[in-house]
Amino acid sequence: MADRKPVDELTYKEASTELELIIRSLESGDMELEESLESYTRGVELLQSLRSRLEDAEQKVSVLLKDMDGTDTLVPGEAADTSDTLNL
Amino acid sequence: MSGWNLTGRVPDTATDAAADDALSVSQAVELAADALDAIPQLVVLGEVTGFRGPNARSGHCYFQIKDDSCAIDCIIWRGSYAKRTFDLRDGMQVIFTGGFNLYKATGRMSFVARSFTLAGEGMLRQQVAALADKLRREGLMDASRKRHIPVFCTRVAVVTSLSGAVIDDVKRTLRRRNPLVELICVGSKVQGEGAPAELIEGLARAAAIEPAPDCILLVRGGGSFEDLMTFNDEQLARAVAACPVPVVTGIGHEPDNSICDMVSDRRCSTPTAAAESVAPAIGDLVDVLDARERRMAVAMSGAVRTRASDLSAMGERAARAMRARLERSALALRAAADRPCLADPAWMVERRRSDLEQTAERMASAVERSHRRFADAFEPLPARLAGSVSGLAPKHRELELAASRLQREGRALLAIRQADVARAAASLDALSPLKVLARGYSIAYGADGVATSAARFEPGDTMRVRFADGSVTAQVERIELAEPKPDPSRA
Repeated sequence: MADRKPVDELTYKEASTELELIIRSLESGDMELEESLESYTRGVELLQSLRSRLEDAEQKVSVLLKDMDGTDTLVPGEAADTSDTLNL
Repeated sequence: MSGWNLTGRVPDTATDAAADDALSVSQAVELAADALDAIPQLVVLGEVTGFRGPNARSGHCYFQIKDDSCAIDCIIWRGSYAKRTFDLRDGMQVIFTGGFNLYKATGRMSFVARSFTLAGEGMLRQQVAALADKLRREGLMDASRKRHIPVFCTRVAVVTSLSGAVIDDVKRTLRRRNPLVELICVGSKVQGEGAPAELIEGLARAAAIEPAPDCILLVRGGGSFEDLMTFNDEQLARAVAACPVPVVTGIGHEPDNSICDMVSDRRCSTPTAAAESVAPAIGDLVDVLDARERRMAVAMSGAVRTRASDLSAMGERAARAMRARLERSALALRAAADRPCLADPAWMVERRRSDLEQTAERMASAVERSHRRFADAFEPLPARLAGSVSGLAPKHRELELAASRLQREGRALLAIRQADVARAAASLDALSPLKVLARGYSIAYGADGVATSAARFEPGDTMRVRFADGSVTAQVERIELAEPKPDPSRA
């Protein structure tokens, strides 16, 4: 419990995993009431963060390109074309 | 030749000669058979037609092979067919190796194939199948080798051509399905000369990205069998199997199935399907979050409810225990209250009083009885007493007489003795030490009685000195012994 990172610093997956663990431990019913309240608060925080990430998600695309000297570099690429969205 | 003529015509000598030269069918067929046998082994390419599998009874195969203008019966004996590497099917372009054979009983000519291989695409497919077999035997396709691909890959490398429509399909699919997936595009040729090598390099580059992607999509759009042959390349297939990052393939369209598909960790039928398989739809994630929210709420309220019910259960138990205890106490109290001493305190006194009264009664009657007994015993006594003292008067007189005689006699006796005593007293008085003391002498007493010598004392001893009218107790200070005088009696 002490090693909890701020929610904003977690990746989606980390936050999602932590939320699942919190729910499981809440469901197990083994926790002290105080502890479960604390976990619940953290869970709500995670849930809100995950929700807003889903709402605000923007596709990130990069292209792996070879430099002049042959080393690979990640270069930001174009996200998917949205012009076809209406046709779907 | 016989001389009879069945036609009625005059025999024509030429015809006769010809008839003389005529061969029997057997001879003719024999000739043909010999001619066919003389043809060396042939390799014939043709399309299989009318193939119905080995004969149920004999196990031999009878069918035809044809090209655009010709066809010929074809036979494969059971033993030869058993050595095949693939099953024949109608429409297959097959290269047969064998020779002609004439069945003399019917004169039918057939091509007897001793072996056959696929031609063209068929051959390619067979080679692919053989490679697949080889890799399968090596275990590269074992289900146990397949690595787990995370349900939600957030970082995905795509190895494919960057110029085709496929990369856009993948991007669009994932953008629509789940924009949280980060895509890294790694370009490579996907068909033609050098494509396998570029793809192998592309896989290696994608796997080397830091931080490593969750999986690599190896995708290519639909194409001809030859186009897709790149993905049947043995080296590429081995690179896919050996790739340190799990590989998802989506090559061509269903039902295309390449060797890369077989050795990959997950095979999808199309690039789009492959892209969809790496991450859940955003709507599903929302559903998951909704479900989690509900679960959390249920778990939390459950936890509170459980504790609340625990508490009320405990409260009830406490109340029950208390009630039981109070009831027990009340019962004990009632039992105590019902005891006679508390229910009727006067009763104790009453009981003792009645005891006492009875005792008093008994005592009174006992006293009375005893009194009566004594009275009864006493009643005759005065008469007896009166009887017993009646003889006392004469004795009384005698006694009085004797008394006066005794008085007289006694006085006479005393007078004599008094005179003796008076004399003796006068003598005694003359000799009394008290008289000596009255003259000024005194007697000294030491610790053990009358002291007759000064030598018996020590300074500090206590001495009592008796005078005529009393005594003094003193302490010896000094002792002076007189000069011993010569004792005249001893002298």
